Amino acid sequence: MPPFGQGVSVTLEHLFDPGAVAVVGASDTEGKVGYEAMANAVAFDGPVSPVNPSGSGTLFGEQFVGSVTDVDDDVDLALCCVPGPAVPEVVAACGEAGIGAAVVYASGFAEAGPDGEALQAETAAAAREGDVTLLGPNTSGFVVPARDLLCSFASGVADIPAGNTAVVAQSGGLAHVLAFLSRRQDRGVSAMVGLGNRATVGFAETVRYFDADDRTDAIVLHVEGTDDGRALLSACRESETPVVAYKVGQSDVGDFAASHTGALTGDHALYAAGFAQYGVPTVEASDRLLDAAAALGDSPDPDGPNVGVVTAQAGPGIIIADRIQRAGGRLPELADETRERVDDALRGVTYTGNPVDTGRPMPEFGDVVTAVAEDDNVDIVLVYELFEAALGFPVDALSGLAGRVDKPVLFATEGIEEDMAADRRALSAAGVPLFATPERAAEAAGVLARYAGLSDRREAPADD
Amino acid sequence: MTDPDPVATARAEGRTTLTEAEGKRLLAAAGVETPAFEVCSSADAAVAAAEAVGFPVVVKVASPAVTHKSEWAGGAGVALDLRSPGAVAAAAERVFEAADERGLAVDALVEPAVETSEGTEVIVGGLRDPSFGPVVLAGLGGVFTELFADTSHRVAPVSRAEARGAIEELQAAPLLSGYRGGEPADIEALAAVVETVGDLVDDQPVAELDVNPVLATPDGAVALDALVVLEEPADADGGGSPGGEGGDAE
Repeated sequence: MPPFGQGVSVTLEHLFDPGAVAVVGASDTEGKVGYEAMANAVAFDGPVSPVNPSGSGTLFGEQFVGSVTDVDDDVDLALCCVPGPAVPEVVAACGEAGIGAAVVYASGFAEAGPDGEALQAETAAAAREGDVTLLGPNTSGFVVPARDLLCSFASGVADIPAGNTAVVAQSGGLAHVLAFLSRRQDRGVSAMVGLGNRATVGFAETVRYFDADDRTDAIVLHVEGTDDGRALLSACRESETPVVAYKVGQSDVGDFAASHTGALTGDHALYAAGFAQYGVPTVEASDRLLDAAAALGDSPDPDGPNVGVVTAQAGPGIIIADRIQRAGGRLPELADETRERVDDALRGVTYTGNPVDTGRPMPEFGDVVTAVAEDDNVDIVLVYELFEAALGFPVDALSGLAGRVDKPVLFATEGIEEDMAADRRALSAAGVPLFATPERAAEAAGVLARYAGLSDRREAPADD
Repeated sequence: MTDPDPVATARAEGRTTLTEAEGKRLLAAAGVETPAFEVCSSADAAVAAAEAVGFPVVVKVASPAVTHKSEWAGGAGVALDLRSPGAVAAAAERVFEAADERGLAVDALVEPAVETSEGTEVIVGGLRDPSFGPVVLAGLGGVFTELFADTSHRVAPVSRAEARGAIEELQAAPLLSGYRGGEPADIEALAAVVETVGDLVDDQPVAELDVNPVLATPDGAVALDALVVLEEPADADGGGSPGGEGGDAE
């Protein structure tokens, strides 16, 4: 039997959608994982109990309990803040208490040599025996902002906004990087998960869970290397929710990655070929991963790779035209009717090919965007304009446009943050994906084009 | 000299490495074109085989203990472009003498010489990856693969269209489709080899399968060599490898 497949029966509801939480190894000593985890966990909208046999009194207003079996509430999830050697026993106790899921933060498992591997095997066996879905070990946890479910010991996670992208990272650290980055991008996450050593919960189970999650419209994967690549690919292909992957380790980082997450970084060429074969677009940077998620998650599915570009400034438009083609998109000729509409809207427009260059922001800009969006030659629309205080953004034209023409409409801009804040909010509220630079917008359009090109791969019948 | 199941034969003999002849039979049974060949146990038989398949011929050492034939015994393992019965007899004698000196019992494989300049040499490989399971690889022979790492991969099994895509995405693919007025190679036949290798790695207990080279010509794709290494038998369970000593003699 292959080593993978053990996760098939794993259910992740107890983990990501619990009713009550216990923090095992909760501590009143600031700086300890058991303190920081409790400090974050108490934000949860359900009961949270600190568990520690040597604890007394209360912690963050919650009464200490001696053991997981003594908690009154129907606990689904235990956050295990105990040292590695104590983990198998704690997981077994969770099983006896009927707790369906646990997060194990401790390191010193499969990433740390033969003794650690044995400890991980013992932990996984205890989890299977007790029917406990186990995230980690060697992870900094997960966060579901919409439920204030902050199962991470890192500071700042309370400020990660709710969004519609599920971040699934092999590394707990990278999960946090992506979540904090998404906040700075004004986007947010439906969940942020660091898988760590994947003793029972791996990529495939997590992708399936978030595919079915109502709050998630796009799933992004950070992959260092996994021993069940085929299961990962199959789960991605079967996902109706768009999945984008960032496979790191193109050069040889094998030893470092192995010590990091307990997996050998696999052959990069195989991952690249496998993702393409199974219909998953890939990107090469953390910020591009979130850009791709915004483009895919907030848009109708693109039907093809043809990008219609409207720009108010030539310089950014030239960069966009160049980058789109390098990223797998195409710049189609606009239909004659579209050119006529553009000419009518703007006398003496700078360039009515594709990109359409209006020369500067103007009141008719929205009409031009609408004309290009309604062109049957265009599958994806990308709009660039610098913010012009007197005109603002064409919020009315852009609101609902993507849904009406049933194609993605991306918007990129630059300007003084405070000046354009209200208009940006209006576009965000209207569900328009926003981008900060011409390059990033063009590359996001490229991901949409590649995603469209791979659609037949995702629809291919499973042959294994 | 028909062998219905080379894999079963190798298994029964406790081997994990198939001979070239066994590898080619495995491919031929799956529909891949190979040169007509005979496996001979004497120089006389080699001469008779050469006359049967037609001169010029190639004589190669045939033994599961020898996987790198051209490096074996100072070059005695492969003799190319033999145009007379005398040359065939001498080449076969060199194979048997070198084997005797090494305490090996070997055969000599005789097959028609193929003019490789009439086509493009392509490498088609398959292996069982620990993470992805069966995968296939395609690349152009020689410097393209060795120097430029111009290879493409697919998770097996692959459809014919997917196999074709793997060939067409190679940087060197234009060389197959009529570069500088040459006649285009039969890419569909080549894709069929890639598809078949994928199926074999998927269906059979194959750890590694190298068809190097496949000669792609306007008329088809011919497997000129085949190296097949089987997985360790399942019952070995990591506790010892009964077939291990039959492996690579290089």
